[in-house]
Amino acid sequence: MTVAYRVENLVKRYPRQDVLAVDGMSFEIAEGEIFGLLGDNGAGKTTLVRQLVGLLRPTSGRIELFGRDVVEYTGFVSTMIGYMPQSTAALNRLTVGEAVYFSAHLRGMSRGDARRERDELLELWRIAEIRDKVSTNLSGGQSRLLQLAVATAGRAPVLILDEPTNDLDPVNKKHVWEVLRGFNQGRGTTIVLVTHDAVEAEKAIQRVGIVQRGRFTALGTPARLKAEIAQKLKVHLAFPPDDPPELPYGVVPQERSAGTWLLMLDRDEAGELLGKLDLRKITDIRMTSTTLEDLYLHYAS
Amino acid sequence: MPPSLQRPRPHIQFTDLFLIQLSNFRWSWRGQVVTGMLAPVLATAALGAFAGRDQQSLTYVLCGSIVLSLMFQNQNNVAANFGYMKAMGTLDFFATLPVYRSLVVLATVLAFFVLSIPSLVVTALVGTMILGVPLSISPLALLVVPLCVLPMAGIGALIGITVRSPAEAGTVSMLITLLLLFMGPVVLPPDRLPDWMIGVSHVSPTSYAASAIRQVVIGPVTGQVWLDVAVLALVTVVTLWGVGHKLPWHQK
Repeated sequence: MTVAYRVENLVKRYPRQDVLAVDGMSFEIAEGEIFGLLGDNGAGKTTLVRQLVGLLRPTSGRIELFGRDVVEYTGFVSTMIGYMPQSTAALNRLTVGEAVYFSAHLRGMSRGDARRERDELLELWRIAEIRDKVSTNLSGGQSRLLQLAVATAGRAPVLILDEPTNDLDPVNKKHVWEVLRGFNQGRGTTIVLVTHDAVEAEKAIQRVGIVQRGRFTALGTPARLKAEIAQKLKVHLAFPPDDPPELPYGVVPQERSAGTWLLMLDRDEAGELLGKLDLRKITDIRMTSTTLEDLYLHYAS
Repeated sequence: MPPSLQRPRPHIQFTDLFLIQLSNFRWSWRGQVVTGMLAPVLATAALGAFAGRDQQSLTYVLCGSIVLSLMFQNQNNVAANFGYMKAMGTLDFFATLPVYRSLVVLATVLAFFVLSIPSLVVTALVGTMILGVPLSISPLALLVVPLCVLPMAGIGALIGITVRSPAEAGTVSMLITLLLLFMGPVVLPPDRLPDWMIGVSHVSPTSYAASAIRQVVIGPVTGQVWLDVAVLALVTVVTLWGVGHKLPWHQK
């Protein structure tokens, strides 16, 4: 396994602040991996990401990208990464087509290749229809898709994406995860991303770090982390509020609203529940295993 | 390790960055019309009326208006643009591309110089018509005009990257404009100014710019122009170096 990023004892303290924004993090990201960062607002995710791309210098500790120190070799870092900041306004004075073209050309593509890359990415990110619009006149979702096109233009081997699905509708969110998975599988692109979209991200992320107060509270594959928390099934039941269903002995429901229960069951209890329930009295039933979102909520709390 | 991206050659970086910055005409043209053309032309008309028929005063009014158009419109726009780029993450984005930060500064400053050329031409032509001052343009104008723009653009860039918001950049830039414009023989001849103001004007780049502009636009060109050029070149180098040094690129 080739290590793309190696982070050792990373610390970041902002001037005049007592609390560390990044508090002694150490981890590795493998080449070709999709690594997700989950965490509350202000947990230190963006600070970490800005250090990974060389925009912020660590207070102490070390970050290596393919074996080279990020602080020392800033020029090297810029030839390896495509970065999407949280702000969607980076190239706001350009049209959509211009922004993608210049990003590809400044990342070393020839003029012809940059034009082809622009046309391909505008189609891929579903923004071809607005190619002549000035970026200031875009909706939040369109701006986000443009930023993704700009970050991915030029085919950098490492993508660092800060909240890539913010402002997007569910259809576009799903599309973004599919495209990113495609880059990862087709080109071997290493992807590091910050997201709050844990449910959708689960389909793409291969390893996850859950950040709290500048530290990882959990780090590993979603499957391994899930195995570490209780093996419960979640059952959502909806029923007429005046006629609640009968449950197996020992199953205690959590009432979410009138006529809606959440049950946390061991796997062997699930069959018993289905046998006992009078499904004619149930208006909706959904059963799920532990999701990435549950993991996030578990470790964040 | 996967193959890295190719860093474009400096002239390609510069051309792209210059074209990106030229796209600022999409927002700056209104400012160019109002503060780059209308304000200098109105100032020319108003100050020209006070100057009467005194040829020396009229010359100062015309050249002062050209300096107003050439220098301060640029300074304000560059300050606003750097303030905006800093606030919106554009500088961060550039810092993650394989481009040199000095070329970002140079491309920005030169793009705004090009964007200010229409203001310069309109101010010079309309001002000449209003005041009746005959123009005698020297070829040295090709050297002097950019050198009048660059120091103030450098000051504008410094303002933009050091203040906290684009709005603050506009306020600070306007304050510096007023101070530099009226602290010296720019729009008024030296014999109408108090002695202390003449003394202060020796440290103001605007005085040297106005002097150089008078010589290459109205004439005659004297040896003074080389001192003016040297001072403007020095201020340009110092301010642009300061911008390159202070530009938030890889922050501590």
